[in-house]
Amino acid sequence: MTITPQAPTSSPSGPLLWWKRHSKVIVPPILGIFGFLLAWQLSASLGLTRLPGPLSLFTEERTRDLLLYPFYDRGGLDKGLFWQTMASLGRVAQGYFLAAVVGIGAGIAVGLNKTLNRAFDPLFQFLRMVAPLAWVPIALVIFQKNQPAAIFVIFITAVWPILINTAEGVRQIPQDYHNVALVLQMSKKTFFTKVLIPSALPYIFTGLRISIGLAWLAIIAAEIVMSGIVGIGFFIWDAYQQNYVSDILLAVLWIGGIGLLLDRLMAWIQSRISPGQ
Amino acid sequence: MTALVDIQNLEKNFPLSGGGNYQALKGIDLEIRKGEFISLIGHSGCGKSTLLNMIAGLDLPTGGTVLLEGETVKRPGPDKMVVFQNYSLLPWLTVRQNIALAVDEVMPNLGKAARDALVEEHLDMVGLTQAATKLPAQLSGGMRQRVSIARALAIKPKLLLLDEPFGALDALTRGNLQEKLMQICNEHELTAVMVTHDVDEAVLLSDRIVMLTNGPGSKIGGILEVDIPRPRQRLTVMHHPSYYSLRSEIIYFLNRQKRVKQWQARPHKVLARHGLEKVNLDLGFIPLAACAPMAVAEAKGFFTKHGLDDVNLVRETSWRGVVDGLVDNTLDAAMMPSGTPTWMTAGGHGGPPLPIVSALTISRNGNEVTLAKRLAEQGVSTVEDYRAWLGSHEREPHRIGIVHPASMHNLLLRYWLAANGIDPDRDVHLQTLPPAQMLADLKDGSIDGYCIGEPWNFRAASSGHGVPIVGDLEIWSGHPGKVLGTREDWAQAYPNTHIALTKALLEACRYCADPAHWAEMSELLSDRRYLGIKSDLIRFSAQPGDAGAFAPHGEPHHLFFGAGLNRPSRSEHLWILTQLARWAEIPFPRNYVEILERVCSVGVFSTAARELGLEDVSYQRSGIELFDARPFNPEDPIGYLNEVSLHRDFSIAEIPIGQPRAITA
Repeated sequence: MTITPQAPTSSPSGPLLWWKRHSKVIVPPILGIFGFLLAWQLSASLGLTRLPGPLSLFTEERTRDLLLYPFYDRGGLDKGLFWQTMASLGRVAQGYFLAAVVGIGAGIAVGLNKTLNRAFDPLFQFLRMVAPLAWVPIALVIFQKNQPAAIFVIFITAVWPILINTAEGVRQIPQDYHNVALVLQMSKKTFFTKVLIPSALPYIFTGLRISIGLAWLAIIAAEIVMSGIVGIGFFIWDAYQQNYVSDILLAVLWIGGIGLLLDRLMAWIQSRISPGQ
Repeated sequence: MTALVDIQNLEKNFPLSGGGNYQALKGIDLEIRKGEFISLIGHSGCGKSTLLNMIAGLDLPTGGTVLLEGETVKRPGPDKMVVFQNYSLLPWLTVRQNIALAVDEVMPNLGKAARDALVEEHLDMVGLTQAATKLPAQLSGGMRQRVSIARALAIKPKLLLLDEPFGALDALTRGNLQEKLMQICNEHELTAVMVTHDVDEAVLLSDRIVMLTNGPGSKIGGILEVDIPRPRQRLTVMHHPSYYSLRSEIIYFLNRQKRVKQWQARPHKVLARHGLEKVNLDLGFIPLAACAPMAVAEAKGFFTKHGLDDVNLVRETSWRGVVDGLVDNTLDAAMMPSGTPTWMTAGGHGGPPLPIVSALTISRNGNEVTLAKRLAEQGVSTVEDYRAWLGSHEREPHRIGIVHPASMHNLLLRYWLAANGIDPDRDVHLQTLPPAQMLADLKDGSIDGYCIGEPWNFRAASSGHGVPIVGDLEIWSGHPGKVLGTREDWAQAYPNTHIALTKALLEACRYCADPAHWAEMSELLSDRRYLGIKSDLIRFSAQPGDAGAFAPHGEPHHLFFGAGLNRPSRSEHLWILTQLARWAEIPFPRNYVEILERVCSVGVFSTAARELGLEDVSYQRSGIELFDARPFNPEDPIGYLNEVSLHRDFSIAEIPIGQPRAITA
């Protein structure tokens, strides 16, 4: 965030004017965050809670190392937080990609075909209510191995919003466009590429954006119970086992930051692909 | 000309959510010739768009067929391209891509270069080459619709279907696009069907206008041929003589539909009271000085006095509204021109013969012929001058306004013209116009003159737009003017009501005949519910100092009551029958004796007069003789018809009117 303008405007009071205009937007969140951290730190210092305060990120030596050196790799599970995160993201990418392919494909099929929709909609509605954690034991039973099970949990969590939104997007194609396609006797392929996909795209992206958040939530949950793998989720679990509470705080910071980045990324792609819709 | 589209007995039902069916359209028959432009017009929900969709194949009929070049339309296709109301452009494609998509899909066998040329040609046609790379969202509504039209035309459809194409556009854009579409249609001899709400648009663009009645069960209420030559220009087309009559025809139709809808929305229970079968009546009238007895009967309480507690006077704008009101039973009875009962009984209104009875002549006289000021300025002050003027002025056709073919105005005007050597069909053209429109037409010069009842002659004279040339006192003094008419089946079902109504109006007529009441009547009629004009323009007789046609014999101009004035006269109705036949409005009925017997409800009149103690008004008038002193012998009407010098080829036919029957409520 830039506090001062990069190029001063012609008016000498430029920076001052800028500050006047924007201070109302900038000051409250800073105050809010700072206040929250202060209250937390105070309550920790005064011993009101056993949770260490935010300053422990710097005061604890082990945590400070983790914070300052995210890229170290000592082999095994002992890696910097960057590598832990990348391992988790890698799983998310695989599961999410699978979910996108299956979700969009099945969504289009269900959206176009009323009978299919009637057949599967109750099932979908039911399955999407199952929490990611509940899938973990099922996934482990099915795949017997941590890695594919983790990917499966990502997949099964992320697929529903994509599927349901895509189906809705296909159903919401205006009758006018259908009429145009009918009158022009459009081929299936043309209809698919020129009408269906562009028309449903905003819905598909809404689904994708919701899913990326869910996928990220799910991976942490999945990794926590899957011992012995590199990943930010297991890192938290490991730290908890060893009572490194300030490490957990640092990992949580990473998780929140990455989730935010992922969501912004999807929003950006969305705005690039379907402008103005 | 071959029929490109043939719609046969088309029907469309929509299933309702609560079970049952909604019948949107029924019994639609229409042939569309190649190169024709057809408009579908009607109120919202009348099924216009449904009909268009069935022609397009987007919707399938539940009965009947649509044939395109002899083949049943079963699915949509590019040969019947639709221009949708909301343009239906694909927003993610540019203007050019939108058109190209259609061309590429429909004409894959054409070379790429030829397809591109086609796209460019049509972009150019609608003047959008500049905007070819823009997305639809960057265009105005008018431009989007131009793209939509270009897309439709680029694939060379056999039939172009337009669903309210300009409905969402502002007036200026709409006008420009209409011209553009017209030009394109002319150049490419397109066949087109357009759904529209806009009366002017329909007249401007169409060769024929199909008017649909209200749903449920909409059907074609009428088809108008637009005889305005092409190419047409939006700004000049309204100067064509047919323009306003077509326009008023459509507006009349739409208003009629609305009125029927309103009438249907009201509860219609027959209220019987005071020994009368029905005391709630809708009585039709049109705003003329001669409607005074109706207004007086209401204002002075004559209706209630005779037990008719709930009488509703329904103001129609033209006699046609009165006729249609009786045909579709939305009126119980009406004041009507004296020719109407026989005319309708003989089927002159176009449907099957509808027996009408008349128990009362409400008024006599009150009509005049007015010519436009511009004619007077050229020295036309007598009928001889007019004949000479017609001979020297070739501007065809010379129009004279009349209010209805079955009105006394028409018959007297024709009689007078013919007796003076002017053929009322060949030398001039008599045009039916609503009374209220006459003065406007006289002002703008689209008619030479008109024959009509007061106050329209006095108004034209006092505003300086017209000059009275002859009054009816000089043609046939004491001719029947307006009569009370009702359906025979109504009169059979409510005989005592019929008598009560006759009594109320007869008493009102007596009131109106007293000159002491005329100022009060003028005041009453000036109300917006009746004429809505200044009271000093509504006069029932000449005033001291009036000259010429207003007071030719110093007689009262309007006769409302008196010896032999109000009793329905068979010989007068017979004279009317001969005149209607003379000008081929109806064939002369061979069973004229039966018709007159049924039309003239002398019994009802006599009973009414007797109960009011007015037996002395009930005797027969003397024989009929007009200004040319040709005697009319009621014993030999056909001989009379053969004798008259000028007449059309009339026919004589038996007109079956069945047995008198009461309506079954």
